[in-house]
Amino acid sequence: MSHIHIDVENVNFSYLKDKPILKDITFQAKENDSIGIIGANGVGKSTLLKLLVGLNADFSGSIRVEEIPLERKTLSKIREKIGYVFQDSDNQLFMTTVYQDVAFGPENYGLPKDEVEKRVEDALNKVKIPYLIDKPVYQLSGGEKKLVAIATILSMNPDIILMDEPSVSLDPKNRRNLINILNEFDHLKIISSHDLDFIWDTTSRVILMSEGRIVADGPTEEILRDEALLDRYGLEKPLSLTERNN
Amino acid sequence: MSKINKAILNIENLRQTAQKDQWVNRIHPLVKLFLTIFYIAIVVSMNKYHLLGTLVLAIYPVFIFIVGEVSFKDALRRLRIVLPLVCIVGILNPFFDRTIVTYVNLGFATSKYPDGMLAVSGGFVSFFSLMIKGVLTVFASYLLIATTTIEDICYSLRKIHVPKVIVTQVLLIYRYITLLLSEVNKITQAYELRAPGQKGVAFKAWGSLVGRLLLRSMDRADEVYESMCLRGFKGDFDITRQWYGESNKNTFIGDLSFAIIWTGLILVLKLVPVSYIIGSLFI
Repeated sequence: MSHIHIDVENVNFSYLKDKPILKDITFQAKENDSIGIIGANGVGKSTLLKLLVGLNADFSGSIRVEEIPLERKTLSKIREKIGYVFQDSDNQLFMTTVYQDVAFGPENYGLPKDEVEKRVEDALNKVKIPYLIDKPVYQLSGGEKKLVAIATILSMNPDIILMDEPSVSLDPKNRRNLINILNEFDHLKIISSHDLDFIWDTTSRVILMSEGRIVADGPTEEILRDEALLDRYGLEKPLSLTERNN
Repeated sequence: MSKINKAILNIENLRQTAQKDQWVNRIHPLVKLFLTIFYIAIVVSMNKYHLLGTLVLAIYPVFIFIVGEVSFKDALRRLRIVLPLVCIVGILNPFFDRTIVTYVNLGFATSKYPDGMLAVSGGFVSFFSLMIKGVLTVFASYLLIATTTIEDICYSLRKIHVPKVIVTQVLLIYRYITLLLSEVNKITQAYELRAPGQKGVAFKAWGSLVGRLLLRSMDRADEVYESMCLRGFKGDFDITRQWYGESNKNTFIGDLSFAIIWTGLILVLKLVPVSYIIGSLFI
């Protein structure tokens, strides 16, 4: 098995004892996988993503990232490998300028100044916004904020990218730009979204969740074309597929 | 623009001023922090009847205002909150301290002042002295934050071994204040849209509104903190980083000279009655 992978085995999680959020979650994610996590509101998609970077503790079962078990003492090591993009970019961007925000991670990991500058430039080039480098964060538009939020994790050279509802609040052009950027990223990525067209364009495998459980796991092509399955779990076939069928 | 939006904009403007690439902004934050604390201590320790001596100390903020190109108008606006408080503290001085300490020559005689001399009580002098001290200390603190970013202030606090937990609190409060304000803005806007013609927020809605605000702010604060942790933040600052280098044209010697000259000058102004000496040259 290649070195980049995540193993999740029999994971259960709840905030309150009698209200389980995730039930018996088991899956494996390998290098080059691009996985979409889909499901209706409140099925535990975001909670699952947060579990993978140790933001929700006290789960039962086992999560291993590149053979490192997810525990309090291994958090720093694991978080160096995984980049997590929050749903609301405003919560992810807390420094004053774009440069400071993108440099925050590399600086915290003690990289020399030259290397930090190079990482920032590379990350901003990857998301095609090098011209924003000195701009104050509060002056950015919603789409620009999302791209900067992605740059903040790319500057840490992660092996794995996790994204929570990345297409929310993006206009069509920025959305297309984001799809292209994600498709260029050749490592493991896991994207949770309601936007099934976005999932169709960016992932090759889909995990469908309902009431905290995984109810289907397979190729995107197969699951997103299965209208009956999607309908059963409160979802609709992607609009682009419907149009093609017509 | 709503008051809250204005407040957010003010904070952002202050941040931008602090980030300007100017000589004063590039001075080591420890030097500026030390000078500000020292200056405030000296101003506060001035004799309460030594009005002119205190006034002469204005030279330090005036210098920074000019060299740092900091807006004097913005600084004056900061006084709006502090000055009334100082005023309340000193307002009773003229009533209790009625000892005559000086006379002012009016230059003309009236029935009330046949010799043309207006007697000034110690209470009035100490009241004005207190007001001037208030203005100068607010200016000094404002100039520190207008020429130094919060990250640099925290860095210098850690350099002088202020406990990590306190410094992190300072940093997080500064980061969260805009989050809190934007949440307040959203909630009050939503309220206003559904309560047309109402001035302010109705008393009975305060409880749920503040409760909601607290919960939302906590959620957002949580996410910001999580985002910081995910990018390697361990609650500390890199105090080993080199301050002087390619990106900073200032030098250690320059900053040290700045510190020594201003410490000396402030001390001289405190110990030597400069105002009297200058005055005696003309009288």
